[in-house]
Amino acid sequence: MTSISAMGVQFLALFLFCIGLAVTVTRRNMFFILMGVEVMLNAANLSFVGFSRTFDGVPSMEGLTVPVFVIALAAAEACVGLAMLIVVFRTRESLDSDTYSRMKE
Amino acid sequence: MEFLPQIYFGVFAVLSLLCALTLLFTRHPINGAMGLIGLMISLSGIYAVLHAPFMAVLQVLVYASAIAMLLVFVIMILNAAKDRETLRFGPLGIILLVVPALLAALLTHTYRGASLSFSEAAIRGTAHNTGAMLFGPTGYVLLFEAIALVLMVAVVGAVLLAKHDLDSSHKEKKA
Repeated sequence: MTSISAMGVQFLALFLFCIGLAVTVTRRNMFFILMGVEVMLNAANLSFVGFSRTFDGVPSMEGLTVPVFVIALAAAEACVGLAMLIVVFRTRESLDSDTYSRMKE
Repeated sequence: MEFLPQIYFGVFAVLSLLCALTLLFTRHPINGAMGLIGLMISLSGIYAVLHAPFMAVLQVLVYASAIAMLLVFVIMILNAAKDRETLRFGPLGIILLVVPALLAALLTHTYRGASLSFSEAAIRGTAHNTGAMLFGPTGYVLLFEAIALVLMVAVVGAVLLAKHDLDSSHKEKKA
C-alpha cells in the first residue's frame, strides 16, 4: 500500500468529481444528469476512503463507515429519481431537460 | 511484487477516467450506463487495493448491480424516447464545460505540492471492523436507523409515484 501515492488517490477523486460535475451541468438528457450525480457521489466516496487510510488505528475506520451511508443515500436517490423520471416522461414524451420548464409559464 | 499495487492502481485509475469520459461524450444513455458500470467496477478495484475489502464488495453489490440494474431497466422501459433528437449538449453547455475544467486545474495547482502518505497502522476495512465501528460505543447506530427510515420513505415514494401512474392509465382505459 505504501507504493501508492495518497495524493494520487485524491487527484483521481478530484478529476472524477469534475467530470461528474461536467456531465451534470452540460448534458441535456435526463439520464445523463442522474448518472453525473452518481459519478460525483462515487468520487466523494473515493476521497473518503483515500483520506481514511492516512490515519492510524481506530480513526482509520471512520472514513470507511461514512461511504456506507453515502451508498445507501445514492440508492434512495436513484430509486426516487428514476420513478420521477418515468412519471414526467409519460406527460412530456421527452428526455430533454429543457422541456421540463413548466414552472416558467 | 513491490510495485504490484501501484500497477493495479494505475490501471484502475486510467480505466475509471476513461469510463467517466465515455459518460461525458456518448449520445445514447445505454452507452453511458455501461460507462458508469465500468467506472464503479474499477473504483471497487481501487478500494480493494487500498485495503478496504468491505467497501469493494459493497461497491459491486449496491452500485454496479442494484443501482446500475435499475438504471438500465428504466432506460430500456423508456426506449421509445427519441434519443436521437435530444442534443448532447445545450448551446450553453460547451461554455459551461469550462467551469469544471477550471475547478480541476485550480485545485490541481493548489494541492500539487501537498504531502500526504498512507499509514502503515491503518486498520484493514473488513466487514467485521466496519460493523464494530458502526455499532460500537461511539458508533453510528442512530444514523444507521435514520438511513433505514430514509430508504423506506424512498421505496414508498417510488411505489406511490408508480401507483399514481398506473391508476391514471387504468381510468383512461375505462373512459
